Amino acid sequence: MTDRLAIRVYRRLLWLYPRPFRDEYGDDMALLLADQLRDEAAPRVWLRVALDLVLTVPAHRMEARMNRPRSSAVPLLFAVIALAGVIVILLAATTLGIVAIGASIALVSGGLAVAAARRSRPVGAPAAITAHWWQFLVGGAVAIGLLSVVTGITGELPDGGWAIAMAVLFASLLSLVAGVLLGLARLGGAGRPTPS
Amino acid sequence: MVRRRKPLPSSSLHLVLALLDGELHGYALMGRVAELSDGSVRMGPGTLYGALNRLVDEGLIEETTDRVARDDNERRRYYQLTSVGRSVAVDELDRLQKLVRRVARHLPGGAVA
Repeated sequence: MTDRLAIRVYRRLLWLYPRPFRDEYGDDMALLLADQLRDEAAPRVWLRVALDLVLTVPAHRMEARMNRPRSSAVPLLFAVIALAGVIVILLAATTLGIVAIGASIALVSGGLAVAAARRSRPVGAPAAITAHWWQFLVGGAVAIGLLSVVTGITGELPDGGWAIAMAVLFASLLSLVAGVLLGLARLGGAGRPTPS
Repeated sequence: MVRRRKPLPSSSLHLVLALLDGELHGYALMGRVAELSDGSVRMGPGTLYGALNRLVDEGLIEETTDRVARDDNERRRYYQLTSVGRSVAVDELDRLQKLVRRVARHLPGGAVA
């Protein structure tokens, strides 16, 4: 194999490395191989290169995976499903079975949203206001759920009760909207590089 | 109180010790490491540039690129120790010397390093 062909083959093999590493050091690594092939026997160089690839590619891949910014899409998706569960409760507040199904969806999806949001937060990173988006969503959903249960049980609210219920509903809806907006803002900012 | 660093991994240790003499490019570094280790340590390109990348990230070495234009227009990246890196390299050297002296004192016949 000529040196030129060997370098071309090695450049193809460099695709095994994560792209940022390859972009940063690919040319230097190919140049290094050319130097080695010039000064040493080719079989010896290729044996070393093969061992090097086997040992370092998985390590670089794992390192790149661990440093990858985590997405907020999964927790946001669960939060939207939880919200759908709350809407089901609101729309069918008088039918107990449907309320139970809506409540189950809201609780399970809300729990999964919280778990996914906690997992997506980088270790040691300062918590920005957008990091609390799921708390707004869960808070709003829980308040609306409780309101639905109370109105469903009592049937009628005492004098002045409606004013309180409307205030709670308004605050809950505000909280839900704030949660969605903060979640979208966080999702939009997930791809940006963090300052070192 | 001075915070003690963990000992450097083997490849990083060899690289900072090799750079104590001054700046070197990748291939020269590889050769210097092989020379210092009597040929027992020969790094592949992935190991070498992976370790260099970590050392740059840790602020122990820095790139002094764009030095030598070869005939075929290939440019080599040179690396040198930062002041912190030099201090770490000297500390590592001192740690290794102490280790060898302590071990040698306990060898039968009091062998000297």
